[in-house]
Amino acid sequence: MNNRIAHILLSLGKVDRKIIFAIIGIVVFVPLIKPEWVDIPVQISPDSKKVFTELSSLEPNSKVLLSFEYGPSTKPEIHPMSVALLNHLFAKQIKVYIMALWPDGVFMATDALEQVLSNNLFNVEEYVDYVNLGFKQGGEVVIRGVASDIRQLYTKDFKQVSIDDIPMMSGVNNVSDFDYVIDLSAGTPGTTEWVQYACDPKDVPFTSGCTSIQVTDVMPYVKSGQVRGILAGMPGAAEYESMVKEELQRLQEEGFPGINADAVVPTGKATGRMSAQSIAHLVMVLFIILGNVSYFISRRMKVKE
Amino acid sequence: MEILGAWSIVFFTICIFSYLFGDNPFYKVAEHIFVGVSAGYIAVYTFWSTIWPNLFGRLWPASESSDSILMKIWYGFYSIFSFLIGFINKSIFPPGGVDSGFEMNVTYIIPLILGIFMILRLVPSLSWLARFSIAYIVGMISGLKLYSFLNSNILMQVKDLSVNTGASSWVIFNQLLIIVGVIAGLIYFFFSMEHKGFIGKVSRVGIFYLMIKFGASFGFAVMGRISLLIGRFEELIQYSSSDYYNATPAIILFIIISLTVWFMMSKNKEKTEMEV
Repeated sequence: MNNRIAHILLSLGKVDRKIIFAIIGIVVFVPLIKPEWVDIPVQISPDSKKVFTELSSLEPNSKVLLSFEYGPSTKPEIHPMSVALLNHLFAKQIKVYIMALWPDGVFMATDALEQVLSNNLFNVEEYVDYVNLGFKQGGEVVIRGVASDIRQLYTKDFKQVSIDDIPMMSGVNNVSDFDYVIDLSAGTPGTTEWVQYACDPKDVPFTSGCTSIQVTDVMPYVKSGQVRGILAGMPGAAEYESMVKEELQRLQEEGFPGINADAVVPTGKATGRMSAQSIAHLVMVLFIILGNVSYFISRRMKVKE
Repeated sequence: MEILGAWSIVFFTICIFSYLFGDNPFYKVAEHIFVGVSAGYIAVYTFWSTIWPNLFGRLWPASESSDSILMKIWYGFYSIFSFLIGFINKSIFPPGGVDSGFEMNVTYIIPLILGIFMILRLVPSLSWLARFSIAYIVGMISGLKLYSFLNSNILMQVKDLSVNTGASSWVIFNQLLIIVGVIAGLIYFFFSMEHKGFIGKVSRVGIFYLMIKFGASFGFAVMGRISLLIGRFEELIQYSSSDYYNATPAIILFIIISLTVWFMMSKNKEKTEMEV
């Protein structure tokens, strides 16, 4: 009997990778088409909570620079964060300045803005409450430029309107004029560059929403307080979405002037994706355990031989 | 247009997924189109968002007007470019100068020359000139990185290593764990002494810390990849509806049939070659 189990486990270690791909595909696909079958609650992590608390503590009319460093390939992870952050910032009547260090970033920003504005939840106006400065090539050199003199880089916004004619740009000359900087990053240039070239030297509060793969690189900055909290990948996005939704509902019920009372508070996309994510992780863990068990059995059998 | 976009998204997604079952023409087509479109898109977008306004806009601004001979000569060059390039695209050098809101700054001729040197890499006899541009970039970035890296990644991180004795015992324990990890990790990468005895034991602790880091990185990498898969699946599900003329099932069926035929033909070809 034991021998039979050992052989089954051994054969599991030699499963064709195509079968593994298929299983992963199925376990991701099923919760997406049948979300009611798997409903796993989202637990708020301290790092996501910190981002939320920090941004909630900003006064109305504070200036926040939101930098988009991601493209369509990492959209599923970061775009829900962008939408949730914009919802949160507009709800708090904060002025949002958008820029992009990735060419695709500016289109992600436009899409996120359109998504937020289409809900008709806020009475916000372009150039009064938000401005999209667009993309500039140069990575760290652009960040350095924003840190020293933003007007040497940008004379016009994304729509070719002179920044001298944009009311909310008055008094904005460098990164120190912002109350907070948020980076939505999927790589380089991204969070690390913002920390090194702008926010640390100029001592500007900074936080980041980044892809899962970057989290271990950014964590030392989070621990030291150089980055104030972090939205880590899709779970971070889902956590932030749920906190923002609760906050928006609360503000709407209280009749907060920045929020339309008759508009519907939207549910973000990341929350619905987390069930698929969690199930896929469980299957991955199972594969790792089975793979290791199979490896140890085969090693033992070789020693016996 | 939206339908065409949806069908393109589904087609290229399935083409890329088809690689899971082996290299094939669909994957190759998608890969080459992706590389080509990305390179072209970034080149054009960078030109119009950065080079055109920030470089040409400073060298030949539209607002600048002067009767001096030097300025007339300078803008004379511009008129020549405008005439020559005008055959391709008139908006690159529009008549009168580039209107990007900047004032004239002649020092920007240096980046222009360095940029031209960089492009000269394509001319074998003049490719050596690109070394000046590369030397400038390396020197400038090194200088820029040196201070910022020292400040953010070394000084501020070392500062954070100090133990706050007033904190709770759990926080102090965590801080001590990190200090041990930093020291052990550094010793692991210290190769001037043989890793034996006490040093060997400490470096072994360093290995454990590194393994934990690699494990965490792997976990996050898996999470990231699954997120991307979720994103793709969501779009495939969205475009499978009748609103998009059932793009997903139609394309999956087409690719499966095509790949089956292609695999069978390749096998037959291999068999014939073996027989020959």
